[in-house]
Parts: sequence; C-alpha cells; structure tokens
Amino acid sequence: MRGGWLRAFLVVLGVAALFAIPRVTGNEYVLALGVSFATFSVLSGGLNLVYGYTGLLSFAQVGFFGIGGYTAALLVTEQDWSLWAGAAAGGVLAALVGLVIGYSSLRLSRHAFAIVSLSFALLCLIVALEWVSLTRGAMGIPGLPVPTLSLPGGLRWRLGRPADFYYLLLGFAVVAHAVIYLVVTSRLGRAMRAIKLNEPLAQSQGVNPLSYKLLAIALSALLAGIVGGLFVFYLTIVDPSIFDFYYTETMLIMVIIGGPGSFWGVLGSSAVLSALPDLLRFTTDLRMVLYGAVLIAAMLLFPGGVGGWLQRRRLARWRRPGAVAP
Amino acid sequence: MDLSFYIQLLLNGVVIGVIYALVAMGLSLIFGVLEIVNFAHGEFYMLGAMLAYFLSMNVGLGYWPAVLVVTAVAVALGYVLYEALLGSLRGQSFERSILLTLGLSMVLQNGAVFLFTTTPRMMQTRYSYSNVIVGDVRVSVMRLFALGLGLLAFAALYLILYRTRVGRAMRGVAQNREAALMVGIDPRAVSRLAVAIGIGLSGLAGAALAPVYAVHPLMGFSFVFKAFAIIIIGGLGNISGAAIAAVALGILESVAGGFLPLVMADALAFIAMIAILLLRPQGLFGRGVRV
Repeated sequence: MRGGWLRAFLVVLGVAALFAIPRVTGNEYVLALGVSFATFSVLSGGLNLVYGYTGLLSFAQVGFFGIGGYTAALLVTEQDWSLWAGAAAGGVLAALVGLVIGYSSLRLSRHAFAIVSLSFALLCLIVALEWVSLTRGAMGIPGLPVPTLSLPGGLRWRLGRPADFYYLLLGFAVVAHAVIYLVVTSRLGRAMRAIKLNEPLAQSQGVNPLSYKLLAIALSALLAGIVGGLFVFYLTIVDPSIFDFYYTETMLIMVIIGGPGSFWGVLGSSAVLSALPDLLRFTTDLRMVLYGAVLIAAMLLFPGGVGGWLQRRRLARWRRPGAVAP
Repeated sequence: MDLSFYIQLLLNGVVIGVIYALVAMGLSLIFGVLEIVNFAHGEFYMLGAMLAYFLSMNVGLGYWPAVLVVTAVAVALGYVLYEALLGSLRGQSFERSILLTLGLSMVLQNGAVFLFTTTPRMMQTRYSYSNVIVGDVRVSVMRLFALGLGLLAFAALYLILYRTRVGRAMRGVAQNREAALMVGIDPRAVSRLAVAIGIGLSGLAGAALAPVYAVHPLMGFSFVFKAFAIIIIGGLGNISGAAIAAVALGILESVAGGFLPLVMADALAFIAMIAILLLRPQGLFGRGVRV
C-alpha cells in the first residue's frame, strides 16, 4: 500500500499525543472529554463493524454496553472479582447474548434483526428498572469502589485519579480499534463487505453470510461489553440510564456522519462529536433535535457520510483520463 | 376476585388493544405498501394527543370536534411527510428509511420536550368523570368513546381497503410491487395515500386516548415499540394480523397487569415477539417467510 509507513507513523504519533495529554494538562474537563471520546469511539467502531461493514442496522449496542457495565459492577462488588475479570465477563456475556439475538432474528431477515435489536435494548432497560433483587432498580448500584489493577510484573495500579481512567479507557480503545482494523482489512472484512453489497452473490462465492454476521455482532458486543464494564467504574455508579436511547442515537450519528464502512471516518467523527456538542454547550434536548435534523439531512443528501464522500472523490480522481492507477 | 373483576380487566384490555391496533395497523400498512418501517409513527400518536389537549383546553373545542380536527391534521401531515421525506426513498433502502424516520422522531420528540417540557397533562372533557355502570362493572365514558372511535376507524379502513379501487390498488402494491406497476397502478399515489391513512390513524389514536391517559412528549416513544412487536407477532405487512395481535396483546397485558407485577405486563410484548420469532418467524398470521 502506498504511504503505508507514513500512515503507521502518523497513527503512532497520534496515539502517543493522546497518551501525553495528561502530562500537559491536568484539567479534569479535558480528561472527561477524552474518556467520553474513548468510550464512544469503541461503541461507534463496533456499530460500524456491524452496520457499516456487514450491513446490519443494530440498536443493540447500548444493551451490550449496559450488560457489560452491570455484570462488571455486580461481579466486582458482590463476588470480589478484579476489574479485569469483571469487565471480561461482561464482554463475554454481552457477546453470548448478541449471538442469541442475532441467531434468532437473522433467520427471518435483516429487517427483523433491526427491530429485534431495538426491542432487546428496551427490554434491557425494563429489566434493569424492574429486576430489583439483581439490579437494585432505578437506584442502580452507586459507590463502585476505586479499582486496583494488577499489572504484569507484580505491579499494582490504583485508579484513583481521573487521568488513570483516561489511560485505561484510551488504552482499551486503542486495542479495540486495532482489533476492528485487523478484522476489516482482512479476508473476514472483505467477506463482510461482500455480504453487505450483494448477499446472494457473496453466497454463490461460498461465503456463509450467517456466520460472518454473527461474528460481527459478537465481536462488537464483546468490545461494547468490556468498555461498558470499564466505563461504569469511571462513573462510580451503574443505573438504568446506561441503557438510555441517547447513547444509541449518538453512536448512530457518529457512524452516519463518519461514513458507514469507513474506519478512519467513523473514528474521526467520534472524536469531533464527543467534543464539539459539549464545547458548544447545547442542552440535551436541543442537541438531540440537532442530531435528528443532521440524520435526516444525511439520509437525504449524503448517505455515505464524510468517509463515503472522500472515497467517491478518490475514485473520481483515479478514473480521470491520464491518471496513474495506484 | 369475582367475575366482574375479570370483565373489568377484559374490557380495559379491549379498549387499549383497539388503540394499539390503530397505531399498529397504520405502521403495518406503511410497511406493506412502501417497505418502510416508520420510526416516527409513535411521535404522530404523541402529536395527536398533544394537539387534542391544546384544542380542548386552550381553544375550548369539545371532544368530538377536537378528534375530527386532529385526524384531519394528521392525514394532512401524512401527505406532507410523504412528499417531503419518504417519497424520495426508493427500493433497497430499508436502513435509510429507518434512520430517516428515526431522525424525524428525534426532532419531533425532543422538540416537543424542549417546547412543552415532560410534565404530564390530563385532558379534561365534559364527560371526564362520567361512568357507565352495568352491575358491578364500571367503565368510564371516555374509554367507551375511545373504543367506539377505534371500531369506527377499523370499519372505515376495511371499507377503503376492500371496497374501493384505490384500496385494491394498495393491497396490490403490498402483495407484489412489480405486478402492480405492470397493470398500471401509480405507486406514488398509492404510497402517498397509505402514509396519509397510517399517520391519520396514529393521530386519531392519540386524540382518542388523550382524555384517558396523561399526555406528555415521551408517550409516543414507548408506544411505538409495542407497535413494532405487534406487527412482528402479526406478520410483517399483514394488516388484519396486526389488528388481531394488537387486541390480543391489549387483553393479555390488562389481565397480566391484574395479577403480575407491572413490569411483566410491559415486557410481555417483547417476550412474545422473541418467542414468535423463534417458533414461527413469519408471524402468527403470515403465509410464508418474507425475504
């Protein structure tokens, strides 16, 4: 690939810059925006894998996120598990639930999957509110303890400062995006894209769509579950608002604006949209009105998002007479 | 726990079921004809209820004129919705249609929250405190009116779909789009009418229920998800299936609400939907699996 080394260099530079932020400023507001970016980027990256690459519109991400959060919180507070184990268990449970939902609804159609994933997210909210003996209802589980992580080499890391959570979530986001990037640039990613573009054709080439769809759903659920498990310890509380439809709408907007199926586009829009509305100080109602209007405009005018627009421009440049094909 | 208690539950269930059916049938009609899942459907139910509230409380209109005006406005909104947004979506754009209508729903819902806050309001009418009492069973007049309006709308929809040319055209497009095109049916005209009827039914449902339940900007949000579950249970695009499933769900919820904790009644629709998908994916009344 042309410029591959340059790109790798830029990525390393960017990640290093992000990790250096707490050294430059101890401003908690900046760090809070950073944590929000890391969390949302994992959620929208997972949604991009399912919707952007595989073509399945999913509303279930927020359910996986919350399942991870509740599982980790309960295991750590009531079973004395470590944060690592709790978050991992949350991710695995979310992935299993994702497989069940995907398997039961994809037998019918991807339309049914969209509707079922939505109902699943709402069902999660109802369960969190009403299964009081497990989730403690609307009060949630407040006062989650400051976790201490054991690191390789016998070190212990107590996550007492905001910067610690910034490092933790940013570190996980880097891992998660590396995994997503490896998947979408590999044979798996090509098969997923083929399924999205033309499922019967992909099938005729020996691709079994169901297994790739389930893989995409399970992987995105795993990542969302783990990030949920880590994020609730940053909040120090998990309550039913973790299943709020607001999360779903926000990550959908990030994927749509960034361009479904565009890895860097969605990452970029996650960064911009995590910071911008907060900096502009919109109230939540007004922000959602604006998001809705943006969604409508995007669907009518540029369904490919920014990533799709850049791709079209690149293709147009290649097609110009006299251009050298890369 | 005597007989009248059960009859009471049953009657309440039928009333709410008929209203579910109005919303679900509109949703199903729009899906059948346009292959669009209208996420904003519940918001029109909310707008219908809000408008009925303001017409009766601020303008001083009576219940029946308010219902009439709301239905007319909703039908007109349906036309506008089709011309402005849905008409530009064509074929193979299932996800786009969902996201588009989701965006619309976000604008309407959060706009309503911004303008009116989430405070629940109760619409008062002349008959608000009147009841019909037969033996030990007591039903409020407003619920009976809602039931009557619902049944009237059923009848009207049936007549339109099965006794008019345009209704036959609508069913034709829902059954087989290409064949309908081939015999000279204009899909745009049919789609426009289907959206207008669907939104009209939703607005009517909101206006009919406004004096029974509290009116607030988030009421459409939870309602529409139940309607989604209903149209899956009844079979996607199957209008009579949706109506039967809606009434059954209304009764089931009401009876379950009498015995089980409230949460179970709320989760019932979703659990039933998942069960149906696992056991009979084409829906209870579907003829075959739709691809």
